[in-house]
Amino acid sequence: LVWLEAELGKGSGDTALSWSQALEGSLNFWNLLEGTHLITLMLFAGTIFVVDLRLLGVTFRKTPVSVVSDRVLPLTVAGFVLMIVTGLALFLAKPVIYYHSLWFRLKLVFLAVAMINIVIFHARVQRNQHKWDTLALPPRAARISAVLSLASWAAVITMGRFIPYNWFDCGKPIPHIVNVLENCKASDHGAVDKESMAKIAGGQGQ
Amino acid sequence: MKLTFEVFFPALRPWVENLVNVWPAPFVKPQFASFEVLHILSLILLGGTAILMNLRLIGAGVTDEPPSEIYRNLRRWQDLGVIGIVVTGVLIGMANAERLYDSTAFVVKMLALLAGVVLTYGASRPVARADGAVSTGAKLWLLIGGALFLLGIWVFVTGALINVGLFHVLSAAALLVLIALTGRLRWIYLAGLIVLIAASQFLTHVGVEPDDLAKLDPVNKTFFVLYSLWIFGAAAVQLFVKERGAEAGAVAKLIAYATILVWVVGAAAGRWIAFA
Repeated sequence: LVWLEAELGKGSGDTALSWSQALEGSLNFWNLLEGTHLITLMLFAGTIFVVDLRLLGVTFRKTPVSVVSDRVLPLTVAGFVLMIVTGLALFLAKPVIYYHSLWFRLKLVFLAVAMINIVIFHARVQRNQHKWDTLALPPRAARISAVLSLASWAAVITMGRFIPYNWFDCGKPIPHIVNVLENCKASDHGAVDKESMAKIAGGQGQ
Repeated sequence: MKLTFEVFFPALRPWVENLVNVWPAPFVKPQFASFEVLHILSLILLGGTAILMNLRLIGAGVTDEPPSEIYRNLRRWQDLGVIGIVVTGVLIGMANAERLYDSTAFVVKMLALLAGVVLTYGASRPVARADGAVSTGAKLWLLIGGALFLLGIWVFVTGALINVGLFHVLSAAALLVLIALTGRLRWIYLAGLIVLIAASQFLTHVGVEPDDLAKLDPVNKTFFVLYSLWIFGAAAVQLFVKERGAEAGAVAKLIAYATILVWVVGAAAGRWIAFA
């Protein structure tokens, strides 16, 4: 990741920048990428939420599930492609910071949960969709899948929004477990355990 | 001149400065990020429902159902999205009032919000409910909402440091037209778009030195105009193309395009409050 941040795409000369540094230091491009990443959520998450609400039986109750998903999911996929492209570019701009971010790591975990849920839905729940396609209220397995989808995407969005906040940055006195989860020992700022700091402060007080 | 709320309401500064101390702002401020998340989730709900409801009027999306059915199924969720962005917006706005008072992007956002509400409730939803039929009232609201929308765009275009955010609106319009067009028209449009992208990238990366801002600025602005002409020209053609599943006429489609894009303008301006 250090190579990705400092070396990849770097030209010759003392002032040459790597692609990562050029992207992070760009006048407007990083802002445009970040803004696009956020605004695309309206297309991506906004449409997937509607499909999930249909699976929950709270909207489009008279429309077959297959009609809603066939018409809406292509839009969701287009949004997802944009999210991935802009997300990867944003990661390229600050790979080391994101690597040591608790929120970024949790975002990836919830992203994995959402993906696994999609795989399970297609492999198992959708297998007998012809039996419940026109039902106003789909079976419990489909509803559970919809709840998991809504919750995991909401969690991905929440974690994503928390990334810019420095509450748990490496080098700050933070709980030991967070230092471990962020692998702060390997970071430039090191790991400072809040508990150890409290003990030292307590010892000095006595 | 920097167009901010201070320009219109200079006497309000002491009141604005004190908003952060007024309940519930002291409660919101420590939880600012959580309220931001609620604001974004509301925007997503509003965005998703606006996209699907208006795409249907344009002749895309869930074309198996009439526009009135899409409206009937999504209106309550859209209401929730609108209420959500307004309530959470007021709360995070109170906790961050002084910054917003001095922000041109916030002026754009408020104009877009007003235009969005007018276009959504006055024009788009009544037209969807009537399966594409445009009443005189809807036309009137289109004029009012459209005027507010254009005023917001004008503030965006003339706002120093924030006008780059208009590329979000242009990108969204480009994608929207790509979705709306069908058949040969779509391929012609896409080919033109690719040519424009290639030409702009070539000129701004090879034709002009990357750090020569004096030359890059007019090139970027020229391409912004060319992109706009191509994208909105294609949208204008699509307005008059009669396609399968499109009960709506040109005015209804115009309302639909404007209603989706006005919320994109609001979201883009909201993001550029933080950037500039």
